[in-house]
Amino acid sequence: MRSALQQRLRSELRTSLVLLVLVAAVPILVRNDYWLGVLIVSMYFALLAGGWNLLAGYTGQFSLAPATFAMLGAYGTGLLAYHWHVSPWLTIPAGILVAMVVGMVLAGIVMRLRGPYLALTTLSFAEIMRIVIGNSYGFTRGDLGLSIPTLMNDRLAWYYVFLAAVVAMQFGLYALLRSRVGLYLMAIRDDEIGAASRGVNTVFWKTASFTLSSALSGLAGVLYAYFSSLVSPELGLLLQTGLVICMVFIGGIASLAGPVIGAFLVYLTSESLRAVGGVQLIVFALLVILIARFFRDGLWGLARRILERPAR
Amino acid sequence: MKVLEARGVTKSFGGLKAVDGVSFGVDYGELVGLIGPNGSGKTTLINILSGHLAADAGEILVDGKPMRGLTPLRASRGGIQRMFQLTRVFRRMPALDNLVTAGCALGMALDAAQARARELIEELQLARVATLDAGHLSGGQQKLLEFGCCFMAQPKIALLDEPFAAVHPTMKEIMAGFIRRRHAAGQTFLIVSHDMPVIVELAARTICMNAGEVLADGETRKVLVNPQVIEAYLGGEAA
Repeated sequence: MRSALQQRLRSELRTSLVLLVLVAAVPILVRNDYWLGVLIVSMYFALLAGGWNLLAGYTGQFSLAPATFAMLGAYGTGLLAYHWHVSPWLTIPAGILVAMVVGMVLAGIVMRLRGPYLALTTLSFAEIMRIVIGNSYGFTRGDLGLSIPTLMNDRLAWYYVFLAAVVAMQFGLYALLRSRVGLYLMAIRDDEIGAASRGVNTVFWKTASFTLSSALSGLAGVLYAYFSSLVSPELGLLLQTGLVICMVFIGGIASLAGPVIGAFLVYLTSESLRAVGGVQLIVFALLVILIARFFRDGLWGLARRILERPAR
Repeated sequence: MKVLEARGVTKSFGGLKAVDGVSFGVDYGELVGLIGPNGSGKTTLINILSGHLAADAGEILVDGKPMRGLTPLRASRGGIQRMFQLTRVFRRMPALDNLVTAGCALGMALDAAQARARELIEELQLARVATLDAGHLSGGQQKLLEFGCCFMAQPKIALLDEPFAAVHPTMKEIMAGFIRRRHAAGQTFLIVSHDMPVIVELAARTICMNAGEVLADGETRKVLVNPQVIEAYLGGEAA
């Protein structure tokens, strides 16, 4: 028999899959390369948002470095491809591994910190990484970035590669969250002292969550590197992290569907507002404030509340 | 044989000695009441026994073995289950899954933990709210839920800090009944409470603390008529 939590996760997975089926059908109507590209970048952000949501939404650990791990994944891949022409069969796992290992080492240091200290430490780490990469011109070509050969020139193929990655992430997160590990992570989020008192190894599971979240960001970075054929420190800008956080909060933190909804909504809106200048972030910041004040569970939470409202 | 023992345990906060050289032991199968006025050091002592605070001096022994560097995780996995005075449930998780988490964390398989959680939630009369998030439960229901979490696996000792405080009499009776049945089956308890009638009914032995020290330790009825205990509670000369 399924528990209420498992039923909730199942309904969230189902919703996100319905959305992704719609996304899969978009190329039937839209063959414009620009808009396909926008949707691909939305899916890149969906991967980052899903990874960050695992850490912040389900484990309660507010890292400010999701974009940094995407950058590290992209550079892990990019440096091997650029300097040594290593096969993508090796550079792709290597990029993910770089993000994962750095994430695990950082987690080992920061996971004993709580609240603002964790956020501040990851913020410092993010800026240090971006500056070091940007200034190591001899190896990383600094702000010029690394040009790497793309794997495919067909944008539609990339579209479905990203879509497959997002679908795989959703299934993976669903399986994880409905297992005992999901219970531990949520227990840590709700009450870390209480969780330790019940026998949950809080440091271990926080580290595992940080590592997995970093790996997901690394995967996003690796795919983006090959899609765009360019790896630059811009991937790790704090602005990118800000976008990821906006996506998760607007879509609905601590839900499987919310970050995916948020990623598409925010990035598509951002692109639509491009013509009117740099007002996107103002719009998103205002939305986050409104959501934090009135709808803590984001758009997904709001939709769920409306659907679950008893009929009069 | 003693399941839990404190030897000369001392803990200070700044200039205040919250626990001052406390020594006592709890035998397997015993139900011991721990009483004392507010600020007497009861919760600090429970925090030390459950690994939430490190003692400045003295030692804690479990099954006669000294537990150095005791943490909440080690205490819990070592069979010391603790209930907090201010409830600590997993608020955004359904009530049933709070219990399942506790079971899994102590090594039960997910299916076994779910089955055990359903039994417990029935016994604690929380079945009606099993699917609600714990944060939506009343204060008393949250206490019952946290109480239940301590018994997902049979603990060596249950340290219950004010389990009956601010709880409706019906729920208090559910908890007391549960304690009675488990104690009759050999479960060991250390219960902190200000509820004297319940302590008299449940505990054959009571320890009274005052100003961080053990004031009296013995048969409950004798401890409660001890002039020093009465003075500590009432703040004046005993009649």
